[in-house]
Amino acid sequence: MSDAKLQKILLQSNDGVTIDVGKSPPLDIGFWRTPPSLYRAVAERSVLIRNMLEDLGDEGIGNQAIPIPNVNEAVLKKVIEWCDHHRNDPVQPADEEADTRKKTTDIEEWDQKFMQVDQEMLFEVILAANYLDIKPLLDVGCKTVANMIKGKSPEEIRKTFNITNDFTPEEEEHIRRENEWAEDR
Amino acid sequence: MSNFKRAPLAPAPGSKSILSTLQATTMIDSKPTLPAEILVTILDYLPVPDQMRFARASRRLKEMVYDDTRWVARLKAMGCWDEAEARRRFEEGMRRRREREAAAAAAIAPAAVGVGAVPGTTGAVVPPPRTSTTLFDAAEEEQQREREKDRRAKQVTEVRNGFETLKVSGQPPPQAHKDPFHDPEALLDVIKNARSIRGLARQEYGKIYGALAPFYFDLVNSRSHADPIIFKVFRDPERQAQMLANLHTFAKSDWSTGWQQREDKLHSMKTIFESAVLREFEQGYEYWDVDGRMRKYAHVLDVLNGATAGIELFIQKHPIFTDKEVLMNSMDCINQAPADSITLEPSRVFFEVLAKKVNEQAGIMERIFPRPGHVFWTFVDKVREDIVMEYTTPLLDEAHERNLLSYLKATSGLFEQTMQFFLTLTPPKGAKENLEDKAKELALRIFEPHLDLYMQEELDYFIRHAEAEVGDWEKKLSEQDASVESFYMGNFNRQADKKDFLTSFKKVVMMPVTVLPTSFPIASPFGARTPVPATTANGSSLAAPSPQPSRPQSPGIGDAVPDRKGTPLPDGLKAPTDELAAKAALMTSRLEGIKSLFSIEVALNLVHAAKSSLGRAAVFISLGGQAGGEAREQCESIFVNLLRTLGNRHVKPGFEKAVEHLSHYNPRDVVDHNKAGVAPLVTFIELVNVGDLISQMIDVFYEQQLAGPRIADRNDFLDPSGLAKKKFEQMLDESVAAGLNKGIDVLMDEVEYICATTQLPTDYNPLPPPEKNNGVTDSDMGPTHTARRVVELVSSHTSMLVGSTEKTMLDVFNGEVGLRLFTAVCKHLKRQRISTDGAIKLIADMNLYFDYIRKLKNNDLLDYFKALRELSQIYLIAPNHAKEMATIIADGDRFGGIFRAEEVYEFAERRADWYQVRRDVERAMYGLECLVM
Repeated sequence: MSDAKLQKILLQSNDGVTIDVGKSPPLDIGFWRTPPSLYRAVAERSVLIRNMLEDLGDEGIGNQAIPIPNVNEAVLKKVIEWCDHHRNDPVQPADEEADTRKKTTDIEEWDQKFMQVDQEMLFEVILAANYLDIKPLLDVGCKTVANMIKGKSPEEIRKTFNITNDFTPEEEEHIRRENEWAEDR
Repeated sequence: MSNFKRAPLAPAPGSKSILSTLQATTMIDSKPTLPAEILVTILDYLPVPDQMRFARASRRLKEMVYDDTRWVARLKAMGCWDEAEARRRFEEGMRRRREREAAAAAAIAPAAVGVGAVPGTTGAVVPPPRTSTTLFDAAEEEQQREREKDRRAKQVTEVRNGFETLKVSGQPPPQAHKDPFHDPEALLDVIKNARSIRGLARQEYGKIYGALAPFYFDLVNSRSHADPIIFKVFRDPERQAQMLANLHTFAKSDWSTGWQQREDKLHSMKTIFESAVLREFEQGYEYWDVDGRMRKYAHVLDVLNGATAGIELFIQKHPIFTDKEVLMNSMDCINQAPADSITLEPSRVFFEVLAKKVNEQAGIMERIFPRPGHVFWTFVDKVREDIVMEYTTPLLDEAHERNLLSYLKATSGLFEQTMQFFLTLTPPKGAKENLEDKAKELALRIFEPHLDLYMQEELDYFIRHAEAEVGDWEKKLSEQDASVESFYMGNFNRQADKKDFLTSFKKVVMMPVTVLPTSFPIASPFGARTPVPATTANGSSLAAPSPQPSRPQSPGIGDAVPDRKGTPLPDGLKAPTDELAAKAALMTSRLEGIKSLFSIEVALNLVHAAKSSLGRAAVFISLGGQAGGEAREQCESIFVNLLRTLGNRHVKPGFEKAVEHLSHYNPRDVVDHNKAGVAPLVTFIELVNVGDLISQMIDVFYEQQLAGPRIADRNDFLDPSGLAKKKFEQMLDESVAAGLNKGIDVLMDEVEYICATTQLPTDYNPLPPPEKNNGVTDSDMGPTHTARRVVELVSSHTSMLVGSTEKTMLDVFNGEVGLRLFTAVCKHLKRQRISTDGAIKLIADMNLYFDYIRKLKNNDLLDYFKALRELSQIYLIAPNHAKEMATIIADGDRFGGIFRAEEVYEFAERRADWYQVRRDVERAMYGLECLVM
């Protein structure tokens, strides 16, 4: 097998579309300019895919497409777009969670723009990132959601997250009073 | 949520991969909702107020938000969560609950019978309703009671399902402050008062948040430094500082988006505040308003952030660093001293003044700063860097350039003074650090840059010095090498009483060893080559009042010996001055001979040089740690080098030369044999004495300088210095053994020579004298001249070794000498012709030998000479008693097995009248034998 072939990784979305991370990149980002050696780097932003490639080896994969069962084509392309843009980022070591909390930084500009999608898409991306285990993307998604609901009333929050209210008005009022110290003044 | 459905199709044949299985599954997607773990992550990015609104959305979200770990993490970030305290409280709570349960169970117990009897009618029968409940009811009752109590206390934590219920001892936590402006005092300590209670972390954080968040966000959003309410609520700078410090801590628990900008803002505000306070402090400083403004603002700064900036300013601007009185010129140490040397007096003064000033400052710091210990040591560190190092470094560099010895002295001396300086400091009360440790650390930092160089130079200097000393001596030796041989001989001619000399010699030589431990007199008493005044100076310094000024000579040793030791020399003390001087001169000349081989003076010099080097280097051992270890190693290597130079370069060649002299000795070449000793052997034995002395000296040195101050470990057999010492001693022993071996040969050569040359044929075979009566009585009694000479010769040599060599070696030596003497005497005897008259003399001779040997206390040896004595009797037997003679010859027991009959027969042949008695004897012998057979 040639080198270039080795680097080829096919991903299959749940609606049956096969995306060749090497050959048919989304045109709008100029994916085709990516040198072959980096295809892999793109796919490997996902811990899930990386582990799978390591476990199966190149022979195990062959020319078969890797199915991504709970991600549809549009979302998968979006995710690949993000991976491509961030392919040169240093891989974050899996640290203790408590320590990294303080290290959270603001969303960088490109990501902010990238996340300017409708809420459904945003959630899908977050879910896909969660499934594919792409921690940085998940973080960006979560931050975006956090910004989204900042300052919103409980009712608005419920709407956003599709949650049904199971409090009586008294109970809700009680929680409010209990946490009055946190009210903005 | 998502859900998977297995496709009904069987996996395609031939594809073994799990991918095919995955491909075969399909997913039915629903409207996207986020799973709990993602919601939790989102929560982490939310500011606290939003989190609380989030909690109001639904029960599940409330649980998420109220999760205790979330709040414990924030408390931890602020450093006010104490896990140990939390555990203690938790366990206490558990215990109390168990107790309550036990009490409840005990109360139920009596009622249990009734309950069992009438299961349906619970609670109604027994009058006190609380105790008559069932177990189940008791638990509920318990909860009710608790709720009631909580309500009475008007606790906020009324509803806490889902939380671990823990009783908080003492008062319930106070209500969150509705209006922090009402109680500003409580705000100051809010962080300090936070408690660590599991299950109540959110409430505790709420208290802190409620108190500080308004100030925090107000400060962050304010545009100018005059704006924030914090500066309006608190007028007192100390409280403002306290508040700012609190906010700084609080900011650590803020990790929602944008925290960085907020923290920066807070930081800049703090910096503005700090610089304002610093300005005040500085003004106070300029007016030296110690107890007023300086003290006040130092405390403010301390509250704010530990007063680092204040301390820095205080130290930076401290007048001591420009004080002319303190800043001295270190070159004084060189300039005030004579050329090429150094005096450490100015530096001593320098350190004294400095110590006084610094200690003064300690008092002032105590008045100004709330934690003076830290300030003091920072200050001292600065003093070290700016004053002490400025002083020492140029001095050492200059000294290094000018003169190596003064450099070495300066380094060691300054180090000692520095240590002293640091140890005299009196840190203000409350300083935690151990003064000694700190002193070591600071001293190390001063001398660290010099240490390696110094150690290397010290070792090099010593090695060079030692080499030079030995080389110098060798050069001098070679200059007069040509004359050495005759010089020896010349010396020995003048020698009167060898034995006497040796005793005095030994005393002189031993003496420095006994003096060694205390004062180490450098100049050896053998001042033959050193200038005489030096020796006298040394002698008189030790025995100041005694030297007689009238004495024209300068007998360095002569007067030093009796004065110092008080040991009466055999004739030294009572002898007239002239004789004493002559004696000294004689001794000197004798020692000259030894010096040509190796010199104890050189050895002493080397040991002294080693001692001073060691003394200088050993100072650094007190540093401990790596530097101390290096210093120790260096000390050991100085000692090792001392032994190497002394042993291999000096003592060993000396011994080799002496042995060579011995082997070249031929008694027949020597003209004069009147003296009692064999020159090279005497020299050699003296050499052994000197070697032994050096060895003792080294031993004392080792004990005193290395083992004593724990530089070397006596019990560690791998210790390099111990090994070197053993090697040195071994080398000495080997040399001595080799020399003695040669020495015995030489001694015996001499014995044989004496026997051959001085024994007159008439000694044992006197001519029948004409006037028979007189001659025989007079001259025949007592041993012959030859025998006396031989005994004298041998005994003088054996006794020389007494006390200077090892006992066992001495025994071996004596045994060998005795045995060889025996052989020599036998050989000699076989060359003589002995008459019955001469036998008396012979017996006397043999008795003399026997007596001498008896003194050696060697029983094996004694047997030989006993046999010899017996043997000599065969010559006494009159010719007409040939038969008895035969009996004696044949009597093997008589000679203790030393001689066989054949040998005795051989001796008997030496009878003057042998041919007359031979027939009779043989007949008697063989006849006797026949008779026996």
